[in-house]
Amino acid sequence: MQTIDARGAFCPGPLMELIAALKLSVIGDQIEILSSDKGSAADVPEWVAKVGHKMVGVTDKGDHWSIIVEKAK
Amino acid sequence: MAAAPLYILLCSGEHEKIQMAAMLASVAAVSDRPVRVFVSMNAILAFEKGKSPAERYHGGEFSRLIMENKVPDAIELFGQGKMLGDLTMHACSMVMDLKKWEMDHLVDDLFDGMLGLTKFLADAETGELLTL
Repeated sequence: MQTIDARGAFCPGPLMELIAALKLSVIGDQIEILSSDKGSAADVPEWVAKVGHKMVGVTDKGDHWSIIVEKAK
Repeated sequence: MAAAPLYILLCSGEHEKIQMAAMLASVAAVSDRPVRVFVSMNAILAFEKGKSPAERYHGGEFSRLIMENKVPDAIELFGQGKMLGDLTMHACSMVMDLKKWEMDHLVDDLFDGMLGLTKFLADAETGELLTL
């Protein structure tokens, strides 16, 4: 699984980094994004649902979130 | 059902408004919503080729915070929106005429050409129009 460390980046940086990585991946690939941006834990799942990918999980790591997304289309 | 296009009329030269327009445009574009940006008045000055961020952006408290922190640059956000979604940008033909600028005065690979306000307004009847 590819991990993108976007900690320290502000909105919408983590989301844009995730989307760029998804563009380069194939269906079924899972990507983990690490984000300290307070909005990411809600924004990323919202985006994933809207565009039709699959949320694998969101985990609060204390000072950041781990968000795992699976490319579905 | 396809999302209605988002039309953004960006006319302020204030950094915070340019940043907000870039955030709205890029996030909407990557969320499968067509975005059409029309840049006019003082906003066009921020898109002049060859400027440093300090020359390009002028604003208040949040402009300073944006510049001091790891916030995505507005020009780069517009570029990402174009690369990853359906986003087009047009320069207002009137302000380009007033400045005696051609398209090569503007940052590369961002604009799709010049457009008049009448055409932009007519197109915007098909979607939602935001003015910044």
